[in-house]
Amino acid sequence: MAKYILKRVLRASVTLFIIITILFSLLRLMPIEGYFDNFDKVSSTEIQVKLNSLGLNDPLPKQLGRFYNQLLHGDLGTSNIYRRGVSINTIIAEKIPISVKFGLISFALSLVMGLALGIWMAYSTRTRFKIGDRLGTVLIVVVQAVPAAVYHIVIQFVGSQYAGIPMLFDEARPISYLLPILSLSIGNTAYYAMWLRRYMVDEANKDYVLLARAKGVPSGAISRRHVFRNAMVPLVQYIPGSILSTLMGSLYVESLYSIPGMGGLLVTAIKRQDNTLVQALVLIYAVVSILGLLFGDIMMAIVDPRISLAKKEGSR
Amino acid sequence: MQDNVILSFEDLDIRFTLRGQVLNAIRGISLDVYRGESLAIVGESGSGKSVLTKSAMGLLDANGSIAGGHIWYDDKDLAAFKTEKEWLTIRGREIAMVMQDPMTSLNPLKTVGAQILEAVQLHQGLRGPEAKAAAVQALADVGIPDPQARYKQYPHEFSGGMRQRVVIAIAMACRPKILICDEPTTALDVTIQAQILDLIRTLQKKLDLTTIYITHDLGVVANVADRIAVMYAGDIVEVGSCDEVFYDPRHPYTWALLSSLPQLGVKGEDLYSIQGTPPNLFYEVKGDAFAPRNPKALKIDFVKRPPYFDVSPTHKARTWLLDPRAPKVEPPEHVYKLRERGGVGYV
Amino acid sequence: MSLFKKSADMLGDRLNEQLARDLDESAVLNDDTLAFSFAEFHPEAAERGGYSNYSYWRATVRAFFRNRTAVFFLCLMAATLLFTFIQPLLPGQKDPLEVHYGEWGLPLNNVPPNGEYWFGTNSIGQDLWSRIWAGTRTSLFIGFSVAVAEAVLGILAGVLWGYVRKLDFFFTELYNVLDNIPQTLLLILISYIMHPGVSTIIFALSLTGWLGMARFIRNQIIIIRDRDYNLASRCLGVPTRRVIFRNLLPYLVSVITMRMALAIPGAIGSEVFVTYIGIGLPVSIPSLGNLIQTGRSLMQMAVLRYQLIFPVAVLAVITISFYIIGNSFADAADPKNHVN
Repeated sequence: MAKYILKRVLRASVTLFIIITILFSLLRLMPIEGYFDNFDKVSSTEIQVKLNSLGLNDPLPKQLGRFYNQLLHGDLGTSNIYRRGVSINTIIAEKIPISVKFGLISFALSLVMGLALGIWMAYSTRTRFKIGDRLGTVLIVVVQAVPAAVYHIVIQFVGSQYAGIPMLFDEARPISYLLPILSLSIGNTAYYAMWLRRYMVDEANKDYVLLARAKGVPSGAISRRHVFRNAMVPLVQYIPGSILSTLMGSLYVESLYSIPGMGGLLVTAIKRQDNTLVQALVLIYAVVSILGLLFGDIMMAIVDPRISLAKKEGSR
Repeated sequence: MQDNVILSFEDLDIRFTLRGQVLNAIRGISLDVYRGESLAIVGESGSGKSVLTKSAMGLLDANGSIAGGHIWYDDKDLAAFKTEKEWLTIRGREIAMVMQDPMTSLNPLKTVGAQILEAVQLHQGLRGPEAKAAAVQALADVGIPDPQARYKQYPHEFSGGMRQRVVIAIAMACRPKILICDEPTTALDVTIQAQILDLIRTLQKKLDLTTIYITHDLGVVANVADRIAVMYAGDIVEVGSCDEVFYDPRHPYTWALLSSLPQLGVKGEDLYSIQGTPPNLFYEVKGDAFAPRNPKALKIDFVKRPPYFDVSPTHKARTWLLDPRAPKVEPPEHVYKLRERGGVGYV
Repeated sequence: MSLFKKSADMLGDRLNEQLARDLDESAVLNDDTLAFSFAEFHPEAAERGGYSNYSYWRATVRAFFRNRTAVFFLCLMAATLLFTFIQPLLPGQKDPLEVHYGEWGLPLNNVPPNGEYWFGTNSIGQDLWSRIWAGTRTSLFIGFSVAVAEAVLGILAGVLWGYVRKLDFFFTELYNVLDNIPQTLLLILISYIMHPGVSTIIFALSLTGWLGMARFIRNQIIIIRDRDYNLASRCLGVPTRRVIFRNLLPYLVSVITMRMALAIPGAIGSEVFVTYIGIGLPVSIPSLGNLIQTGRSLMQMAVLRYQLIFPVAVLAVITISFYIIGNSFADAADPKNHVN
């Protein structure tokens, strides 16, 4: 298994390198206005001077080399517009804690709610009216079909206008955490519930469950020891990867509620056209999402005894 | 219930509801299973053989139910069982099962040992190291070499034949009185089949088990069965000792079934095959279910369901041909070839 | 009841009649000699029990129409689509870009819904009703374009990937890399680099959207080569063309349709998203994205909430319909759900 994990890590590093290179090259196409805080007022010679000094007129390989060199020294560059001349590391260091806090709380919440809902739905498929399954399906369909951008707004709208919860985030008022966390967790809740239900129903119809029943194991124990455990195995792979959807949700949710985090920062950077900041944030998001996928595969290898033998490459 | 009868189906009706339609999977079956015997239930796919045995363990699918009749075991009517608690007194403890495909009947994510341990703890009342020792012993009993090491392995590390041994070990660890073997060798290599059948037979003798085989493989039947019950379209059409059914079959369906044995084929001739398809059990079956496929059916076969006629005290068949008023109809001549060729033997 | 079942029942009835002609029941029961005489053998009666007469598409359509929720949303979607496209042709419709002025030459802004302006007007006096349908057209155009681009690119790449064995390694690696790029991030990046517009959004979404489809097609092609039943068909001398048409194409077409149906709500949502972060469509091109965005900024004023609620409702109807139809169709197209 160690060999498998090592292989996955190496693979992920190569992928990461390629993707960063692709994204960096794409980012060279950013409009040059984004390197100036006073683009309208400077002359074209001044523009060229500044671009030269930033090395932006150098050939791409040279720029890439310099970029990786800086990256190895942990330097993401300086902001041009958002906070002129301030190191991006400093800016991000202020923003990360709050994003991580929101991310982890909503991740935990969605895990608890999603698994509970999934179990309830799977259980309810065996009851007469399937009430749990029907209700859960409605939630899943709405959350999956309606764009996140829209249900975030609806949650903010209903929560603030009808439930009297503050519309914007206020660190001093715990109640103001409620809506953003709900928004951030609802997507993954539906996702976990949908897959857990599906996997549990699949597992429950398998022969080994019949054999377990035939040997006299009570149905509660079968659900816990066989069905739930086995259904969690394929799900485990997707759990770290679903951090990505929380991240992308945070882009929207943080700016919707004026939460001073990373997601809101990217939106601001885009609106203010701060190229270096956009570049740093895009790359950070790409890294996080690739790490999420990598951790998913590693966790899968840990929980599934078959993995070291069977080739699982590219099975996603 | 007679003393030597361990399990008895009486006028059993089982129905399934599928998309609002009712399927009569078992239509009024009566069958006694004797203590210590080895009974084979034979029939083509969909004839209801698995449904019949599953009903004795309360393992019917959720859309199936017993619509009438009784299943007697130890003076208890299993057909009247409602709760899981009642069934837990039967499953494993009294009746255990070996299923067709050892590739799917073990939990792929639990060690083989843990799966045997579950049965040991439930039915032998052992805990801790004693339970583990019993589980290892169970592996040894079914002829798995190096059971200590094998105990910790996962199913994917076993071959098909070895997995079926594990499934048998699990069943045995329950200490049942009846073992149901549902097509126990169908998914295995021919060379392994004989070993598994030998194993079950040995265990049966050693532990004084009653075994019920479900199969469509007459080769298996000939090797293991004391008695044979032939099923067609949810009904038992003929039942008798192994010799009686093979050498003196009376029901036209049994004739047809035996005629399609490859051993009876003549070089250069097409192998016999039964015409038509089994009836759609979503419709009410009228008369003898096999009549539409029977080229020599009587008119009454289409109108009235035949009763059982006794051929001998141990042999009965459900066909109007045994009625004294019926014309004499000889079975197809090649059915007699079986006797000449000295039985079915291993296929 | 469907046609299929009717015809099966009719066949059954006909056979029963035929048997009844041969057999007078009471006569049989009363007359032993008659009862114990041989009946005629009808080969077609022997076959009657079978479940033949199976047609993949008929079974699929039947399974789909048995799902009442799906049928409801199909009707709802058909009505919405039809209306979206004939709306500008109806009499008395207003131009979505025209600013309406009142008697005093002042713009009729933020007029609540009334007989003249069915969904009211927006903050500069444009008719919200016509803007919503114009916006729906824009969003649907984006959705359909992305779905078609995904299908075309995906099928092309998938066929190359599956057929040309030399390219397998290249495509597999390409897939493994590109699949790791979050689509949202790429969408943001492309929209940031290029000029905001409908074509930018379509381009950005199509850039990696084809990956899933290509992978699916590639796997199917490998299955054509290797799956047992196709191997069996080939061994029986069935030409490859026929294997493709009978065994493969039905499944392929249904999955492609489903993927396209699900790509549409995704693309519509992406447009809403980029518009929110400020790099989407300008207000001069009405879209569900910028209508919702405008509505959102006004939601604290209770009287202006209609400007949020109407576009959200239309968007929800469209995305939910596509989603449910796509999934129900996939279920219906799965032969596993075709029993009896």
